[in-house]
Amino acid sequence: MINKGFAKHYYLMLLPGMIWLTLFSIVPMFGIVMAFQDYNPGLGILHSEWVGLENFKYMFSLNDSVTILVNTLVIAVLKIVGNLVFPLVFALLLNELRLRYLKRWIQTIVYLPHFLSWVILSGILLDIFGYTGPVNQILSVFHIKPVLFFGRADLFPALIVGSDVWKEFGFNTIIYLAALTGINPALYEAAAIDGATRFRRMLHVTLPGIVSAIVLLSVLSLGNVLNAGFEQIFNLYNPLVYSSGDIIDTWVYRTGLVNLQFSLATAMGLLKSVVSFLMITISYYLAYRFANYRIF
Amino acid sequence: MVKDNTAGSRLFDIALIVILVGIAILCILPIWYTLAVSLSNNAAASSGRVGLWPVGFNLGSYQELMGDRKFFNSFWISVQRVILGAGLNFVVILLMAYPLSKNAKELPYRNVLMWILVFTMLFNGGLIPWYMTVKSLGLINNIWALVLGNSVPVFSVILVINFFRNLPKELEEAALVDGTGPWRMMIQIFVPLAGPVIATVTLFSIVYHWNEFFNGLVLMSAADHYPLQTYIQQMVVVIDANTMTAEQIQRMSELSNRTLNAAKIFIAMIPVLVIYPFLQRFFITGITLGSVKE
Amino acid sequence: MRAKSMMSLAIAGLMLVLSACGSGGASEKEADVSKDPVDPFGKYSETVTINIGKEVDSADKSLPPGDSPENNVYTRYVKDNLNIDTKIIWQAGVGKDYQQKVNLAIASNDLPDALVVTDTQLRQMVKSNQLADLSEVYEQYASPVLKKIIDSTEGLAMKSVTFDGKMYALPNVTAESDMQHIMWIRKDWLDKLGLEVPRNVEELEKVAKAFVEQDPDGNGKNDTIGISGPQSGGLLNADFINPNNNNYGFDPIFGAYHAYPGFWLKGADGNPTYGSIEPETKEALAKLRDLYAKGLIDPEMSIRKDAQELIKNGTSGIYFGLWWAGGYGPLADAIKNNPKANWQAYTLLDKNGEFTPHMGTPSNQYLVVRKGYKHPEAAIKMENLLLRDESKFDVSVGIGNYPLRIVFAPMDEMYVTYNAMKEVLAGTKKPEELDLPGYKLLKADAENIKKVKLEPYDKMDIQYWDPNADLGAWKRLYSTLVGIAPLMEPYKKTYSLTYSQTKTMESKWATLDKMEKETFLKIIMGAAPLDSFDQFVKDWRKQGGDDILKEVAEIAQP
Repeated sequence: MINKGFAKHYYLMLLPGMIWLTLFSIVPMFGIVMAFQDYNPGLGILHSEWVGLENFKYMFSLNDSVTILVNTLVIAVLKIVGNLVFPLVFALLLNELRLRYLKRWIQTIVYLPHFLSWVILSGILLDIFGYTGPVNQILSVFHIKPVLFFGRADLFPALIVGSDVWKEFGFNTIIYLAALTGINPALYEAAAIDGATRFRRMLHVTLPGIVSAIVLLSVLSLGNVLNAGFEQIFNLYNPLVYSSGDIIDTWVYRTGLVNLQFSLATAMGLLKSVVSFLMITISYYLAYRFANYRIF
Repeated sequence: MVKDNTAGSRLFDIALIVILVGIAILCILPIWYTLAVSLSNNAAASSGRVGLWPVGFNLGSYQELMGDRKFFNSFWISVQRVILGAGLNFVVILLMAYPLSKNAKELPYRNVLMWILVFTMLFNGGLIPWYMTVKSLGLINNIWALVLGNSVPVFSVILVINFFRNLPKELEEAALVDGTGPWRMMIQIFVPLAGPVIATVTLFSIVYHWNEFFNGLVLMSAADHYPLQTYIQQMVVVIDANTMTAEQIQRMSELSNRTLNAAKIFIAMIPVLVIYPFLQRFFITGITLGSVKE
Repeated sequence: MRAKSMMSLAIAGLMLVLSACGSGGASEKEADVSKDPVDPFGKYSETVTINIGKEVDSADKSLPPGDSPENNVYTRYVKDNLNIDTKIIWQAGVGKDYQQKVNLAIASNDLPDALVVTDTQLRQMVKSNQLADLSEVYEQYASPVLKKIIDSTEGLAMKSVTFDGKMYALPNVTAESDMQHIMWIRKDWLDKLGLEVPRNVEELEKVAKAFVEQDPDGNGKNDTIGISGPQSGGLLNADFINPNNNNYGFDPIFGAYHAYPGFWLKGADGNPTYGSIEPETKEALAKLRDLYAKGLIDPEMSIRKDAQELIKNGTSGIYFGLWWAGGYGPLADAIKNNPKANWQAYTLLDKNGEFTPHMGTPSNQYLVVRKGYKHPEAAIKMENLLLRDESKFDVSVGIGNYPLRIVFAPMDEMYVTYNAMKEVLAGTKKPEELDLPGYKLLKADAENIKKVKLEPYDKMDIQYWDPNADLGAWKRLYSTLVGIAPLMEPYKKTYSLTYSQTKTMESKWATLDKMEKETFLKIIMGAAPLDSFDQFVKDWRKQGGDDILKEVAEIAQP
C-alpha cells in the first residue's frame, strides 16, 4: 500500500538534513582535488598547479608510508579482534551469573569507560602508566625495574589496543547480551536433561545461538580496518613511538597542519577514504548475501 | 533457566563472581585513582606517592578550581553545545531517518541518497577545505560551528532507520486506512514507539558533543571560547618548550599542578557519569533493535 | 532528478566558498599614500586598525581585572602614541597551538594584517605570495636604534628575510648568549661528596655516578638523578632550524665531542656536510647511550611532561641549558623548596680543554605583514616604540602582552650587562652612567644588583644572594652573574652554513628530520642498536639528504 503523494513530503523532511550535509560534508569534499595539485594557498584551489599523480608517487616513495600503513592496519585489526572477542567472552560469563542485581551493577559499571573522552582518559592513562605511577609501583614490589610504558615502541600498540578494548568491551557486550536473550530456554533444559555440564551447555547451546550475531559484527567491522583511532593516539603518542604508533590519521594531521605539505596530506587522506569505502561496500554485500541483513 | 546445584557448579559460580567483579573494578579503578589524586596534597601527587587512597587529604584543589573562571566558562560552553547539538541532532535525525526507512518504491532515489550518506561518512576533503568552508559560512568562533561542524551524525541516522524498519508494518497500514498523512504518521505513530532508539541517539549526541575537543581547537579563535574538553586537552597535552621564551617557560612551570589537573578531569567526567546510568535501559534496547534484525 | 539538483546545490556552495577565498584582500588598494609624514614614531592623524593573530600565554596572570590581551596597558600605549588600534582576530596558546593557527591561516589564505611567524612559515608564505614587500617601509620607517641592532648581526638577520632581493619580514635579533648551551650543576652536592666540578665528559660521568649512588640529598633514599634530559617534545640537541634556547638537551656533550648534529658544517674535504651524519655524532651518541644505560641520565627523559619538575623538587643534580635557564628557569622554585640548592654554571670542555659550542642565528621570529594591507609601516612603528620605551614600562604586566612583540637585543647585550654589573659591584660605575640606547634593562639592573647580591661580591654561591629582597631582580641577575660568567672566557665558535631551509627541504625535511630524531632518541635510550646510526646515514643520504647537501653547497658559496 503505497501513497505516491507522500514522496514529496518525504523529500521535505530530508531537506534540512541534506542542506546540513551539503554545507559541512559535501562542499568541503571538493578539497580532494588538492591531492592532484601542488596546492598553493596564495593561488587557491582554482588556480593551483595540477601535478597529476605526482603526490601519490612521492607518497609511495617514502619509507614513512609503509610504516604508517602497517601501523594503522596492525592497530586497527587488533582492535577489531579484541573488540569482538573480549565482549563475547564477557557476555558469556555475565550470562552465567545468577545474581540479578549484581549483574545489573556490573553492566552499569563496565559501560562507564565508553562514555569518557580520550582527552580525559589519556590524561589518566599517562599518569597511571607513568614512571612513578601506580603500575610501576606495583611492578617494583616484584623487583621489576620501572618501565617507561609510553616510551616503548614495542609496547605502544599493545597499550593502545589494550586501553581501547578496556574502554569499549563493556559497551560492546550490549549486542551479544541482546542476542543471548533470544535463545530458547527449552534448549538449555534439554541439554541439562542430557547431562551436559554448564561449560558444555555454554559451548553447545549458547555459542551457536549467537553465532549469527558474531558473524554479522565481524563483517560490519570491516569498514574499520584503517581506523586506528585518531583521538586516542593523538593524545597519547610521542616521537619515541612513531615507529609503531604513527598512523595514517596522525600522519595526515602532522603533514598538513604542522609541516604545511597540504597536497601530500590530502593524497594520503584520500587513499584512506578509498580503501575504507571499498571495505564498507564489501561488508554491505557480504552482510546482505550471507546474513540477509541490510546495513542501511 | 536450569538450576544446577552441584559442588562444581557452586565453585564455578564463586569464581565467576570474583572474575566479573574484578573486571568491573578494573573499569572504575582509574577513575577512582584520579579522584584520590585530586584529594591529595600536590607534593605527594607529583612524587607519585598516591595510590588508591588520598595522601594528605585536602579539598584545596577543588577550592582552587571554584575560583577558576576559565574552567567554568568552558564548562558552560560545553553545556550550551550539548543542549543545542543534541536538540538539533534529535530533530534532524528523525526527519532524515523516517523517510529513509521507507523502501525505494515509496521514496524514489532512496538508495542513492543512502549511499550519499555513507559516502560522506567516509570521504572528506581534509581539514583545510573544511575549515575554509566553515569560515566562509562565518561561523568561526561561533558556538554553531561546534554544533554544526561535524555535519549530520550519519551513524545515528542509520541506527534509527533500522529501528523504524523493524517496527511492525501493521500499525502503519492501519493508520493509512484511517487517512493519516506522512507527518502525523511520523509524529504520532512512529516517534512514540521509537523511545529507546531516540534516547540512544540522543545519548550519543550528548556524549559526542561533551567529549569532542578537536573542533574546539581549530574553529575557536580564543581560549575563552574553548569547550571543556579542548580546555582539558590544552592542560594535559605536552607543552612544546622549544618555541617558548624564558618568561613563558617560567610561568608555565608554576602552572604544573597535578592535583588541580586531576580535580578538573574529575569534574569534567561528572555530567557523563550522572547521565548514562539513567538512560541505560533505553540505550540497550535502542542499540539492539537498531542494529540486530530479528 | 532530486539527486541532480542536490548536486547543483553543492556546486553552487562550492563556488561560494571559492569566490570568498579568492577575494581576500584583493579589493583593497596596495599601500595608500598617507598624508602623514614619514616618521618612525609619528602618530597617525586617523586611527589605523591592525588585525593580528596573537600567541597568548594562559599562565600569564599579570593582567589586571578588566584588561585582556586585546586591551591592556600596552595596547593602549600603542593607541595613545601611534594612534594604532590593535584587534586580535584570533589567539592561541603558546607553542604548538599558535603554530597550528598560523598554519591554518596560511593554508586557508586567511591571514590577519600582521603576524609573528617561524622560518618555515615565512618561507611558505613567500612561496604562496602572501606577504607584503617590506624593503621600502623598513628603509623609511625603522628607527635608527632598530636598524643598528639589525646591522649588529652583520647581515645574518637580513639574509634570513631576503628573498629575490626583497625583504619580506622584520627579523628579530636575540643576544648571542641565547646560543651557547652550558652546564648547571648542584655545587652543594659536589661539596658534600667532596667532588670537583666536572669539566669534561669523563669527569661528568664520575660525578653523575656519585650523584646517583651516594645519596647527595642525604634523605636516605635512592631517589636522585644524575643528569636531566629533554622533556616530552623537547630536543636532544639544537638544530639549524631551532639553534638557540634548547634547554634540557645534551648540546654541551655533543659539543665536547665536536659533534654538531642538526648543523650544516664544512667537512674535512671542504665540501658541506651535515653534522648528524658525521662520526663524531655517533661517538657522542655512543657515550650518551652508555650514560643512559648506566642510569646516569633521567630514565624518563623525552617522556616526562616537564623537565623542570626534577630540578625544582631537588632530585636532579645536573642539567644543560642557557644562561637564563637558571634564575628564569626552574631555580626560583628550586630554592623555594630548598634554599641551600646551590646551582652554579660551567662550560663542558672537549678533550683538549677547550669550550667548543655550536652557535645559532640571531633571528628566529619574523614579523610579517599580509600582502595588500594598507599600512605595513604600522607594524614597524610598533616595534620602534617598543624598543624605545620598553625600559620605561611597568614590568608587573607581562611584556608578552605587547602586540606583535618580537625581541630586539644587541648581540652583546648580556656580556655588556655582565661587565657592567661587575663594575657596579666594584663601585667603578654608577647606574646613571648605564643608560645606553638599545640596552633597555641595563640601568634597572644596575639599580637592583645590590638589593639581591650580598657580600662578598666576588662569591656567587647561593648563600651570598638574597632572592627574597626582589625575586624578579634575583632571577635576572643570578642568571646573569652565574650563567654568563662561563661565556666570558675565550672559546671556539662553530656556526651552521645555513639557518634556513633550501628548496628540497620544503618537501623532504620533515621526513628526514623525523627519522633523525627518532633514531637518535632510540639509540640513546637503548631501543635501537648503536649501529642503526649507519643505516640512518645511508637512508638519510638516499631519501634526499644528498640533494639537500648540494643545495647547501650552493648557498655556502661565498
